[in-house]
Amino acid sequence: MSVPTSSLAEQDVALVDLLDRLLAGGVVIAGEITLAVADIDLVRVSLRALISSVASLDPPPQP
Amino acid sequence: VIDLLAITDAGARPVPPIVAVQSDGVAVLCAPSTDVQPDAAGLWQHEERLERLMAERPLLPVRFGTRVADEAAAAAAVAGRGAELMVRLDHVRDAVELAVRVRMAESEPEPEPAIEPTSGAEYLRARTAQKHAANAVREALDALARDSREHAGSEPLRAAYLVEHGAVEAFVERVRELQAEHPELAILCTGPWPPYSFAEALA
Repeated sequence: MSVPTSSLAEQDVALVDLLDRLLAGGVVIAGEITLAVADIDLVRVSLRALISSVASLDPPPQP
Repeated sequence: VIDLLAITDAGARPVPPIVAVQSDGVAVLCAPSTDVQPDAAGLWQHEERLERLMAERPLLPVRFGTRVADEAAAAAAVAGRGAELMVRLDHVRDAVELAVRVRMAESEPEPEPAIEPTSGAEYLRARTAQKHAANAVREALDALARDSREHAGSEPLRAAYLVEHGAVEAFVERVRELQAEHPELAILCTGPWPPYSFAEALA
């Protein structure tokens, strides 16, 4: 999956799929490791920020 | 501190700064930890790095954000799991992951206005119809995949398919056909991804 160069909506679709995989996929290593949990929390915050910025691009409702 | 990126066949010789730590019959691909910017661009950079590694060898991605102190700790992290990881690695060999999500199409193709469910029974009927359509999509795509996993989510279908390199084109074509057969659905397919969803055996 390369960085999408298509529309904002399609980029959003690909980013959701990427986040699904980064946050829930992969080999889980047990033992003496440090998970970058703080980063992941920030990722979630960042995704919400992205979603709200996409939503804000929609034209405002007509009065 | 180093990031654990992926597990691959023993003997791998990646390009620096990525190093392969040999342990228990597998190689752990590691890189010096850097501060990944927790934004979309930073995540895509991580993804691109895995894809470059995947272009040269089969791999199992390690959960994003996994860090250890040094190479000795990286070796210890997979010690005792070599045989199990080789089974997973063989399972994903020569294949990629494709993501498929099914949502209801946002605009109805019919000219008449969409019927709003006005009762609990109608709502349940609509939900059942969605689930049936999503199951039809899932079963049709299962036939073209080596394996599949369903992810939790609010959508009628949120799944990952493990598809052999030679079958990716046929898979994508089948998605197009299913989209044409089900105009009431929006079928979202992305990839190819490293096999994130097939890196661990089902519990």
